[in-house]
Amino acid sequence: MSRSRLPDPWIILLATMTAGPVLAGLVFMLLYSTGLIGLLAHGFTLRYWHDVLDDRQTWITLAYSLTMGLASLAASLVLALALQAALGARLRRGALRGLLFVPLAVPPLVAALLSVEVLGNAGLLARLAHTLGWIDQPGDFPTLLFTPSGIGIVLTHMTLVTPFLLLLLDRLGRNARVADLMQVARTLGASRWQAWRQVCLPVLMRAGMPVLSVYFIALMGAFEVPLLVGAQYPSMVSVLIQRRFSQFDISTRPEAYVLASLYACLAMGLLLALFAWRGRREVGERAS
Amino acid sequence: MRRVLAWMLSGMLVLPLVLLVLLSLARHWTWPALLPAELQVRQWRDLFADANGLGTVVLRSLGMGVGVAVVATTLGFASSRSLARHARKGRLLALLHLPFAVSPVVLGVSLLYAFLRLHLAGHMLGVMLAQLVFAYAYAVILLSGFWNQRARSLEELASSLGAGRRQVWLHVLMPLARPLLGVCLFQTFLISWFDYALVLLIGSGQVSTLTMTLYQYFSSGDIRLAATCALLLLTPPLLALGLNHQLLSATIVTRLEAYDDE
Repeated sequence: MSRSRLPDPWIILLATMTAGPVLAGLVFMLLYSTGLIGLLAHGFTLRYWHDVLDDRQTWITLAYSLTMGLASLAASLVLALALQAALGARLRRGALRGLLFVPLAVPPLVAALLSVEVLGNAGLLARLAHTLGWIDQPGDFPTLLFTPSGIGIVLTHMTLVTPFLLLLLDRLGRNARVADLMQVARTLGASRWQAWRQVCLPVLMRAGMPVLSVYFIALMGAFEVPLLVGAQYPSMVSVLIQRRFSQFDISTRPEAYVLASLYACLAMGLLLALFAWRGRREVGERAS
Repeated sequence: MRRVLAWMLSGMLVLPLVLLVLLSLARHWTWPALLPAELQVRQWRDLFADANGLGTVVLRSLGMGVGVAVVATTLGFASSRSLARHARKGRLLALLHLPFAVSPVVLGVSLLYAFLRLHLAGHMLGVMLAQLVFAYAYAVILLSGFWNQRARSLEELASSLGAGRRQVWLHVLMPLARPLLGVCLFQTFLISWFDYALVLLIGSGQVSTLTMTLYQYFSSGDIRLAATCALLLLTPPLLALGLNHQLLSATIVTRLEAYDDE
């Protein structure tokens, strides 16, 4: 018997520590939400699943989370691309070089607190507007937080994500020698805009897509920011699950588990599709 | 023009920190004043005197963070070696991302029942175990970048010169990986230090950490103490930033390396 045929204990640990809790949790939620285990277990039932799937709020919440994740990432990406195009090598010089790392040291909870203090109706921006004579009282300042449009969530996420993306794009650009490629394009007669749009952008997007996709899934499941600056309704999926789960009335728990199971399947499906797509792309690249 | 934009961006990056300091020192800061009318150091004095138990909370959060970081980095280092040499590295990388995809809230609610049965819910150890799922996965992804051709060649060279397995780990691999292990310890510490969702759910209100205290002060309207907690939360990463950019930039570099080497 060859030793190499024995399963590697570290790989077993890896699978147990990562997929183990996720799959065990999913199985538990499925059993609980079908009435097979738990305090409300009275035999197999699909009642909770019917209730949740028939509830418009479920689909609104999932669509809202998807939209907030996508809007936060898209807005941050556009801003990061614009800043990178505008600042270029200056991003790596002077005080800015170090300061761009500061938002990486800020947890979402603190970012949300700062949003309230800056973007709120009595926040720093409102006070500045009052000083400039644009508004008379806090109510005159446009409401940016706790609104169903989710603008507060997107703006707060932008403050967290944009510096990260800016640093990421800068590094990707250097790895792929984008400056040299653009120079070649310019020499061949492309305008600055054409070189950026047709050379720089596709190279950066292709290289950054794996990280951006994982980031999108993480933003979709964001909790602290929508909890502190989001509206009561609609709410993002993590917030709704936590609210339903933590209610005094435990009869809402099976519904929380149904929603959590739905979301877990959606997020895992997206993640596995992403890795499968990347695997196929790499095989294609090697073949060509 | 570029210079002006760079200065504006720098200002916007510093402003939140200045605002937090002002909030934590403000005594009266009523609408529509742009700056506080009066400053005081009471919040900080109370903190150092442990008048509202904040000192204990900070020590607990630090202890949890250090514990999670040490275990995650130790296990992650050994696992990352197996991952880097595995034929199905891509699939295993997907597994490592699963906890992050389902989000801490979903993982927290799904594991709470099991933790209750094991008498781990409402305990520091239970919260640390739940945080370890994320910290370990992160450590493996981060450290898998270490096992490149150079590390493999040195490992083989030491073995061929007669070094035992233990000696190779202690005298070749560990010294070589020391900078990255430092980064990993710090990043996994931050996973626990910044965590709110798992403390809320698995801790079930019994485990008081700095993030929990911040939220409690914030929701009760005591913005000054919330800002003080926020500054305390930012202290370790900002100190690290002052010492070495790499401790924070690892987030970006590692993600790229993990995807590139696949």
